[in-house]
Amino acid sequence: MRRAVGIALVAMTLTASPPDRLSAQDSQFGIRGLGTPGRWESVRSRSGGGAFGPFDLLSPLMEAPLADISQLTATAAGGTSHRDAQLGDTITKLRATRFPLMGVAGRVAPRLAISVGFTTYLDRSWDVTLRDSTVLRGELERYRDEITSDGSVGDIRMAVASRLSRRLAIGAGVHILGGSTRMTAQRRFDDSTFHPVGQVAEVRYDGFGVSGSALLGVFPGLTIAGWARADNRLRAQIGDSTIALTDLPRMAGGGLLFAPSPSVRFAGSAAWRSWSNAGPGAFDTWSWSAGAEFGSGRMPIRLGVRGGQLPFGPGTKAPTEFAASAGTGRAFAQGRALIDLGVERLERRGSILTERVWTVLVGLTVRP
Amino acid sequence: MTRRRLALVGAVLLAAACVERLTAPGHCPDFCPSGQITVVDTLLTTSINRDSSYRGYVVSYQSPVMLAGFLPGATGTLDGRPIFRFNGFGPRFPVSSVDTGQIRGADSARLQVYIVRHDTATHNLRLQFYRLPITIDTTTTFDAVAASFNNAPFKTVNVDTLLAQPGRKDTVTGDSVVVDTVNHRLQLSLKFDTAAARYVATDSGVVAYGIRIAADTLASIAFGKGAVGPVLQWYLRVDSLGITQVARTPGVLGPTLANFVFAPPPAPLDSTLAVGGVPSARGLLRVAFPKFIRDSSHIIRGTLFLVPAVAARGAPADSFVMEARTVLADFGRKSPIDSRLGETIVIHPGATDTVKIEVTNMLQLWAADTTHPTVFLLRSQAEAQYFGEIRFYPSKAAAFRPTLRITYVKPFPFGVP
Repeated sequence: MRRAVGIALVAMTLTASPPDRLSAQDSQFGIRGLGTPGRWESVRSRSGGGAFGPFDLLSPLMEAPLADISQLTATAAGGTSHRDAQLGDTITKLRATRFPLMGVAGRVAPRLAISVGFTTYLDRSWDVTLRDSTVLRGELERYRDEITSDGSVGDIRMAVASRLSRRLAIGAGVHILGGSTRMTAQRRFDDSTFHPVGQVAEVRYDGFGVSGSALLGVFPGLTIAGWARADNRLRAQIGDSTIALTDLPRMAGGGLLFAPSPSVRFAGSAAWRSWSNAGPGAFDTWSWSAGAEFGSGRMPIRLGVRGGQLPFGPGTKAPTEFAASAGTGRAFAQGRALIDLGVERLERRGSILTERVWTVLVGLTVRP
Repeated sequence: MTRRRLALVGAVLLAAACVERLTAPGHCPDFCPSGQITVVDTLLTTSINRDSSYRGYVVSYQSPVMLAGFLPGATGTLDGRPIFRFNGFGPRFPVSSVDTGQIRGADSARLQVYIVRHDTATHNLRLQFYRLPITIDTTTTFDAVAASFNNAPFKTVNVDTLLAQPGRKDTVTGDSVVVDTVNHRLQLSLKFDTAAARYVATDSGVVAYGIRIAADTLASIAFGKGAVGPVLQWYLRVDSLGITQVARTPGVLGPTLANFVFAPPPAPLDSTLAVGGVPSARGLLRVAFPKFIRDSSHIIRGTLFLVPAVAARGAPADSFVMEARTVLADFGRKSPIDSRLGETIVIHPGATDTVKIEVTNMLQLWAADTTHPTVFLLRSQAEAQYFGEIRFYPSKAAAFRPTLRITYVKPFPFGVP
């Protein structure tokens, strides 16, 4: 019975998400830039602030942890965000549901594991309304604009990993960036003699990247991780025309995992990304995270915090963000199905905009 | 326990349901897309060329109304006179199921006419009925029947007096009027006595009448045709067995001709763009639609500017509606009209202000269908139903030529970060 329920839940989640909704968490800060970068973490990792990301085989941040996978595993994640965007004294309540992660991994040889999956690279879903006026034909004409973008750039990763020794595991991956956004621009004048105008375009994106990572066991209970990734450029196309070519960042990061006992784990990580390559209005970013997990049995408790910078924003200084998160997990069907639950409180600040976000996360993992 | 877990999972899934609310006020430029909607307003002063006018689309006898007017003006008197003809029953009429008798004449007759358009400001409106030659037809001109109208009218009716009668019936003359407040029509039922109702058997009972109108001011009305056209009821005297005369009331007769004549005739077409009048005139304007607007923009407003060359002509109270349409194919005067789209504007006689017609829909059609002829056609919406006519400066008049003002939106820079 439990097994059937578990499989049904997995099936529901995997089929309920249309492909163009594979996005992470939007932000008003991403509207003027390329978008809002996705979080390459499973729910399990994200509940710990993302600190366990470099060591989590289900998180697409690093490939090396895949080397320790024991059996075929599929995972998916979903989340609903309730976001308050405060611009000056105006607070707008926003809500979105996203399915930012899906993947399958398994061992194909005694020392070789592979993984295929996707995650969100850039979220580009937003809807901006603007009330303004302009002088037309000698008269002041008031109008309302609505410019929307619905879609994202996904990161399809094919990764391999191998444990070279008891202490060292390495991995590498290729990343195919692809996706599309349906964009609309509408203007409606108060004076109906000016007809409303609506323009629509389907913008397609593509790009390519490579990554590599390594896990090193310093001594029992202490592991360090390092990773690096380089993406070439993001090409935006409408029809057959290339609209924009934007350089994508190089990035690198590392982490430290300390497990003094099987039921207590602490981790910390940091990453750097050269988003300033993307052009004016973009910034290089640093991000950090720290987390802990207590209990390895039926229902572990995960806690974490993270902070850092956002790559796009107005002014000369990168917006910042800080989040605290918590979560747990539960195994079903003799450990063949796992549900991870998490909640995150996030605050982003930059210029006159402050965003406060509650995100509820659900992750499902199946080991058939 | 299992149920509680399932309820928990269900609640979580419910919380994660796919509901989106992404709409937020923009704060530009910091938190808006880099691209903006760009509106351009341009005046095309030389894009309208090869314009011309044609007359004769709807002539007076094809009009659904018969115009009557008497409007003295600075340049002459506009005089419109309905003329109509009824066929009779011939020289004989059935007196029984097997016999016919000679029609000796008519005791009386009753003519019913509808006034389908009248100005409530018109006072002391009088209708004068004249007998006309029964040879009138669709080619009859004002001058051809002028002599008949110079005779004394055989009947005169004061509509205002009739309306003021109790029950709107004149018990002396036998005339009555019914006011249709829904359709804004007056239904006049007029009695022709023995002297007025002449049934001439040698003419087979064919009669033709003409109407002149007069009023204290603004004498301009329209009589209906067809379903609301004039009908004649004869009350005949017929020989029976050659000894006595019996009364017979045959069925009512509709007119075999319902037309109107008027003077002065419309001025000949010249280089100006004439629209309206009787026979109706249409103007054709060919537009060199700029490729940069057609191919890569969204038109949000288009206005056609036309400068009258002379003050609009017509009865002061009879403003008429001019419409601008486009054509399905440019065959000059025989261009078939595209009836899908059209814009209208009211033309007030005497006005000389620049006429502005919104033509946005048609411009959008041209932009969407590049095979569509870029031609405007101007005509009166109710052709030959008003005397009104307006003439605009053509493209040859450089200072006053027709112009087109287009407001359009440039392509939005989608995809540009």
